[in-house]
Amino acid sequence: MGVFRIEEADRPHMVRLLIIWVILSAIGIVAVLQINYPPYDQSIQGQDQAGTLKLLTALAMPVFIGVVMMIVYSAIYFRRTTTELIDGPPMLGNTPIQIAWVSVSAIIVLFLAVVGIATLSSENVAQLVGAPGRSIGGGQTGGGTTGEENKEIHVQVIAQQWYFTYRYQDYGGVETTHLYLPVNHPIELHVTSLDIIHSFWAYQLGVKADANPGVDNIFHVTPQKTGSFQVRCAELCGLWHGHMADSVGQVVSQSDFDTWIAQQQADFDTIAKVVPSYAPYYFPEPKLKAG
Amino acid sequence: MLRRVSLVAAGVVIVVVAIVAFVGLFMLRQPGQLEGTTTTLHLETVAAIGQALEWPRPNDPHPDWVGYLPTTTWHVPANSTIQVQIDQEDGASGLRNPFWGKVFGTEGGNMHVTYFDDKGNPQEGDMTSIDPTTAAHTFAIPDLGVFVPLLGISDAAPPNSMNVITFSFKTKGPGVYRWQCFVPCAAGTLFGNGGPMSTIGYMGGELIVT
Repeated sequence: MGVFRIEEADRPHMVRLLIIWVILSAIGIVAVLQINYPPYDQSIQGQDQAGTLKLLTALAMPVFIGVVMMIVYSAIYFRRTTTELIDGPPMLGNTPIQIAWVSVSAIIVLFLAVVGIATLSSENVAQLVGAPGRSIGGGQTGGGTTGEENKEIHVQVIAQQWYFTYRYQDYGGVETTHLYLPVNHPIELHVTSLDIIHSFWAYQLGVKADANPGVDNIFHVTPQKTGSFQVRCAELCGLWHGHMADSVGQVVSQSDFDTWIAQQQADFDTIAKVVPSYAPYYFPEPKLKAG
Repeated sequence: MLRRVSLVAAGVVIVVVAIVAFVGLFMLRQPGQLEGTTTTLHLETVAAIGQALEWPRPNDPHPDWVGYLPTTTWHVPANSTIQVQIDQEDGASGLRNPFWGKVFGTEGGNMHVTYFDDKGNPQEGDMTSIDPTTAAHTFAIPDLGVFVPLLGISDAAPPNSMNVITFSFKTKGPGVYRWQCFVPCAAGTLFGNGGPMSTIGYMGGELIVT
């Protein structure tokens, strides 16, 4: 193993680079910490994601600045000054530097892995503290619920070419054209499709879930701020994919939600008899042929 | 030396700011708000546009495709009431999602339908929903919240007859709004949503509000 050694002539470069890197990295980290990251904080899950994104960006900033700095510095200090075509000086390996960058990279990656695992497993922690619905993950299994007060509301998201509709299992299976959710109440989303593959993306809530026919894809979300959110399809699904969106999603107070869902139930009565009972998924077939 | 160091620092700052600005402006930008949209529309729906009663298109590249006629690009004024009459000549296909059997977003929450019953007798009345299995098509402009199921022509109806569906809705501000059919009526295509359902000019188009 060689000895970490800097040629005397290189010391000024090293000092300059170090000073510039430390100062710009500090400025860069402070700057990126001021950014309001998507998907913002309308849900606990969205806030988790935004926090993770902020952490990743802050960690990446020194690396990013270091790379840019070396490119700019080299272009200024080590540019070719003659038109003569000659080979540059031979480059030999520097073991300490290689060990250093591999070690630093490994430490950063392992640290991020721990952060990622902690975030993904926070559902378990949430269960312990009686706040289910905190995880950003999902799956084909139901999420836990604790206590009657914090019992999750089950909302089915039904994708179809080219619109999303929603069924509220706990409210008689009422189907609606918009998604309303009560604030500070854990929600269990059941995402499915009536035809082809779509993807349910509630942007500000931090939820993106595949909508597959014949699959009940379960996700959890806990809205924590009232306001509107956008719903979009995130899976190319045909002619009107780009219009498969709804900007009328709302997180509302519990009392407003109760009023709204009561109105939806009343409206739904006119069609309730012919809509199939709530089910994890549906396999509808046209009963007649066109024409 | 100080000049060169300053040059390097300035260069790094410029590059970093440019990249961060690019990411901030274009990659982290929230999806834009959807534009919303609404005169008198007289339309015809038919199973094969080459054989339509009112506006036939026998020279169309796909004369056997289902479609709306005479056009699927509709120009209407903003913030106004649009009176719609649809002459519906097609048989029932049935809705994939029965929920769309209900009328949404029309003035009064209903539609007026002149039709033939199962015995071929002419009937008419206001409806707020229909049996989803009897739907031939829908008139839907999702961004305006307008969803209207169109009753299929009865098998007992006289030849060359049509159901006449009338309703009205209100437009919002200027914009381009897609409209589509929610009945998977493109017979012979995967899930009934290919061919004419996936081609503007047949079972989909744009409502251009100015």
